[in-house]
Amino acid sequence: MLAALPLHTVVSEPQPPIEAQARAQERELVLAAQRGDREAFAGLVRLHERRAYAVARAITATHEDAEDAVQDGFLHAFRALDRFRPEQAFGAWLHRIVANAALDIGRRRKVRDSEALTESVSLPFRDPAEQDELRRRLSDGLALLSQRQRAVIVLHDVEGFTHGEIAGMLGIPEGTARSDLHHARASLRKQLSEFRSHP
Amino acid sequence: MTYEPRIGPDGRDDDLTRALRQIYAAPAEEGYWSTLAQRIMSRIAGAVEAESWWSPLADWARVGIVAAAAAVIVAGLALTKSREAEARLAYDTIIETPRTAPLQIATEHGSGSVRDATLRYVISP
Repeated sequence: MLAALPLHTVVSEPQPPIEAQARAQERELVLAAQRGDREAFAGLVRLHERRAYAVARAITATHEDAEDAVQDGFLHAFRALDRFRPEQAFGAWLHRIVANAALDIGRRRKVRDSEALTESVSLPFRDPAEQDELRRRLSDGLALLSQRQRAVIVLHDVEGFTHGEIAGMLGIPEGTARSDLHHARASLRKQLSEFRSHP
Repeated sequence: MTYEPRIGPDGRDDDLTRALRQIYAAPAEEGYWSTLAQRIMSRIAGAVEAESWWSPLADWARVGIVAAAAAVIVAGLALTKSREAEARLAYDTIIETPRTAPLQIATEHGSGSVRDATLRYVISP
């Protein structure tokens, strides 16, 4: 359907005013923060903390590690703010920093114990009533994935990042992100198909 | 409960995605996010304060390092000078006869030759 439309309909579509306004507001905050306005940086924190948490949570094994990674990431970003070029997208820049912080935490903690990981991944943070069999199976399946495969599938399928964005965040080639996503999906489907065969 | 995979055109599995979203759900309370933002800003303030404390110390440390290096250089030069002076003194002691040293006057004995007198002079204490 999209192919039937004239090309200019897709390309020259103006930015929605709200989005453009948000970008302009963000740019003002960035410039003010670069001039040393701490309150402006707090504004950037409030704008981006949820997405930053999502990036960190996809990479780390636990909610607590994700929180630490978000705090580390914002601190690194604050220190490196003078090197940020305002014409860049602040979110993409911040996500790379947060992803690095999360990977660092993962390396430091060396969470390799699949049992501990299963427990932490399956911990119900928001809704304890949702501990059904499918989720348990899925948690077991996630524990079998590598940290990178887990991060890629969560960032792509849950958070909606593109392969290019994920590759940038994790410092891997785009093809590797695609391949990781494919393997992660196949592995989790296998885990769930066993559940289907043995209800 | 059974699991029937429903694969979308992009390869996304709806049930899988839904279950993943439940597991990775971010906290929904507004209070959580405002608290997290405060914690982040407190951490930044703490780090900045620590750096501002460290900064003068670092300046003093730099001054101290420069002073210590200068002291080492001066001490090295002084040591070299001192050694040179000692060496010169040692040479002087060896190659110069002290003016105050008693001169032994060789007296010619009747039976001795000039050669004997020289030898006596040389081996005399």
